[in-house]
Amino acid sequence: MLDQWINGLVIGNLYMLTAIGITQIYGVAGVVNFAHGSIYMFGAYIGWMAIAWWGWPLFPAIALVLAGSALLGLLLERVAVRPFARQGSTILLLTTIAAGLILDNAAQVIWGPQTQALRNPLPHWHFQLGNSTVTLLDLFILACGVGTALLLHLFLYRSRAGWAVRATAQDREAALQMGIDAGRVSRLSFALAGAFAGLSGLLVGLYFSNIYPTMGASATLKGTTAALLGGLGNVPGAILGAYVLGIVEAFSVEWLGSSYRNLVAVVLLIAVLLFKPRGLLAPRRALNPEPTAGTFIPHGRPLRFPRWAAPAAVAAAFVLPLALANPYPLQVLSIGWAFALMAVSLNLISGTTGQISLGHAGFVTLGAYASAIFTSRLDLPFSASLVISPVIAAAIGVLLCYPALRLRGQYLAIATLGLGEAISLIALNWDAVTLGPLGISNIQPPKLFGYELVSPAAQYLLAFVILLAGVWIVHRLSRSHLGRALRAVREDEVAARAFGVGLSRYKSIAFGVSAFLAALAGVLLAHSYSYIAPDTFTFALSIQVLTMIILGGRDNIAGAVLGAVLLIALPESIRFLGEYRFILYGLLLIFMLRFRPCGLLNART
Amino acid sequence: MANKKGSASRIRMAAVSALALALLLAACGKSNVAQTSAQGGTGASPAATEPVLIGVTGPLTGDNAEYGKQWRKGFDLALEEINGDGGIDGRPLEYVFEDTQSDPKQTPAVAQKFVANPKIVAVIGDFSSPASMAASPIYQRAGLVQLGITNSHPEFTNTGDYIWSNSSNQKDDAPYLAQLAVNELGKKRLAVLYLNTDWGKTTVDLFIARAKELGAEIVAQEAYLSNEKDFRPILTKALDADPDALILISYYNDGALIAQQRLSVGFDETVAVVGIGSIYSPQFIRLGGEAAEGVYTSTRFYPGDPRPEVRRFVEKYREKYNEDPDTFSAVAYDGIKILAQVMREYGTERRAIRDGLEAIRDLDTVLYGKASFGSDRRLQNPRFVNLVVQNGKFELWQP
Repeated sequence: MLDQWINGLVIGNLYMLTAIGITQIYGVAGVVNFAHGSIYMFGAYIGWMAIAWWGWPLFPAIALVLAGSALLGLLLERVAVRPFARQGSTILLLTTIAAGLILDNAAQVIWGPQTQALRNPLPHWHFQLGNSTVTLLDLFILACGVGTALLLHLFLYRSRAGWAVRATAQDREAALQMGIDAGRVSRLSFALAGAFAGLSGLLVGLYFSNIYPTMGASATLKGTTAALLGGLGNVPGAILGAYVLGIVEAFSVEWLGSSYRNLVAVVLLIAVLLFKPRGLLAPRRALNPEPTAGTFIPHGRPLRFPRWAAPAAVAAAFVLPLALANPYPLQVLSIGWAFALMAVSLNLISGTTGQISLGHAGFVTLGAYASAIFTSRLDLPFSASLVISPVIAAAIGVLLCYPALRLRGQYLAIATLGLGEAISLIALNWDAVTLGPLGISNIQPPKLFGYELVSPAAQYLLAFVILLAGVWIVHRLSRSHLGRALRAVREDEVAARAFGVGLSRYKSIAFGVSAFLAALAGVLLAHSYSYIAPDTFTFALSIQVLTMIILGGRDNIAGAVLGAVLLIALPESIRFLGEYRFILYGLLLIFMLRFRPCGLLNART
Repeated sequence: MANKKGSASRIRMAAVSALALALLLAACGKSNVAQTSAQGGTGASPAATEPVLIGVTGPLTGDNAEYGKQWRKGFDLALEEINGDGGIDGRPLEYVFEDTQSDPKQTPAVAQKFVANPKIVAVIGDFSSPASMAASPIYQRAGLVQLGITNSHPEFTNTGDYIWSNSSNQKDDAPYLAQLAVNELGKKRLAVLYLNTDWGKTTVDLFIARAKELGAEIVAQEAYLSNEKDFRPILTKALDADPDALILISYYNDGALIAQQRLSVGFDETVAVVGIGSIYSPQFIRLGGEAAEGVYTSTRFYPGDPRPEVRRFVEKYREKYNEDPDTFSAVAYDGIKILAQVMREYGTERRAIRDGLEAIRDLDTVLYGKASFGSDRRLQNPRFVNLVVQNGKFELWQP
């Protein structure tokens, strides 16, 4: 028992380090930054070079890491944030994702993809507690976390520059009128955030004695969870949240097993978001100042095309298999159509209803598993499963999401992220039904009216027809009174409620239809891949689908389809670049967003 | 005015999108052009110097990129030897490496690309099971051999008769490890930690079945997720079961972390650590440091192995890369060598290669010695060596 408490505290220590960085800078300065994890990783590599290559002692290495990652933070601000500052936080979400992608891939090119050993240069002094040992490094990490938290607190609350940072976060316009140089404040925030991320990367690297180019992702996820548990912007809350998370995880391993660890963390997070949305340490308050969802995706209105454009595009897509002898572009496009269906379905939640979902992969997984189980265990024909599986997946999806629909804005986004992860973890742990980690193999190919649809052209046409059906459903829905009600929820929840639009009910309709279509895409992919496992549809997919609709244009069905096809075809068409492929992909994404901030098919209003 | 400007921007926008799409499709279709001209070439008379192409689908970026890099070293060395020795009937052997990030959304497209390119005569890869098996039906239907070099998923070769593997097979590896732990090291109370993936689950089930047969007791059995870094809680749980050996069904990265963290929860030298062959890599020692000392493993591939075929491979590899090969570069080397031997004997037609894989006997391989494929389309009768980490090196170990 004592040992697990200590294990929880030791890992909580590491979560604390990342959580403080996230909560202080992003909570207080109100900046979304998905490249945090990448700077964290770069910091670790800078420290590793100093210690392992040049033989520096720890403290000069830390100074170098602080300086280097602060510079990197400034660079990030210059390239991926400042040009987009006026375009709302969703665009920043995307540009920072793109910047993170560039940094992660650059690290792979510079230092190689393999894990590197990072030896702890501190003396190997330790003391015994029960069976466990606590080392000097553990204490050093604790001191760094608390020390920097104090310094940041003093800076933000006692210095003029710190006041400027907080004032800008509260009201940018007002701050500008008071003579605050908002650009300087933004640079300062990013330099500080960078330095902090880099330091935590180095210390966590020292703790595990290893570093690798993709180390940032999971660390930021845990850090964000801890920060949310404590309430964003609340430093003592983040510290508490980190230790609570560490201890809960340690005991979930003790009682349930390590495979349940992240599932328990997700459930904990959602429970806290539901019952104490402002965090464990939040004061009781009647009204929560939450980010309004409507401003989350930049406004714009769809470009108008001539009436013949849509039928012409559809006709062209239908004859394409005749014109192309090579199955490769057809295969790329048929996967493109499946992703377009996901994008169209997410567009209903995020574009039309204005709710951000980061868990779309979960719906896809539900559909894929439902159909795989029905067709291979219960011998249901594909045609029946095509209808039944998405309905069942949508029902389960809505049931799971329903409690979370009370949440708004970014909190709902985090909750859906958690649910998406939870669905794949359930698929992993529920051996009896899903075959657990082995996944389901030899799923039958799509078969309709006695014909096996196995040729690339047949799969292409099947995917395209299903996409058209999905587009038709969403189009009809968004033109109906239901669509107007959903838009009302997006524009102003309070006003919508005042006009008698029940928020939870309409949100669950949007989630239900969306889950149905995403699950349909899942069914399609499961039968086309013939094998699915819990890690077939991941969080990266959810992010990618969101990227597609932002690229295409909010609340724009044609935009969602175009965004999906572009983002699937783009990495394929630049294959010849090898390792540099995703660096260019990130750069292209930033450029597109720079020049079409409302999306490719939306014009500025 | 505003209206006019709007329509101008619309037209510009439409033109730009159309252009972008056209460019993308053109880029995707490029191989189309190359292919038709190639067909014209082969139709007349195959040029004697036209290379024989193998398609490789695998990760060069993303989470598994390091394994793709190791593969490439093995491939390059094998090609150097084959082409230095006359290639395939005078034609040089080459490979095209398409990066898939081991992502099931990218592998089917790459599969179609390979299938559509008549110059590609066989395919190697992909790395993970979801990625490889999403592409298998396409290879099977097109009649193009897919040789999985790291695919231990028990269902991998079951997609059809064009799907083959020279990967380690858990049916052999796991029972052998049980024998090492129970019979040779004399351990009776085993705590097993395993990676919760298709590979880990298959391996642990086979391991436990054999260990129980040999009379050992499984005192703890704990799964962990592939992105896990913090092993202290499960190690504490395992320690509470009072084991005399800790069995790791792990890869070298997580294996090294477990070896390290076991010391900080109170494991001492009295509990032996025995890891499956996948922990065998110079990286395990580099990452594990002193904590790797005394860890046992059994592997099919060991650079210090006295067998002549291994000696030859290791010396050439060291000469070229100035480091020791690991299992991933060895399977990659074997993969290319197997295909080359088949092609030399049975020709470079896609169908002929499949038939050749079935017919050929006594292939020269590094991992298996002289070996042949069985009816499960996997290589049969692997050999093992037992190793222990001593003074920062893997050394041969005899009971």
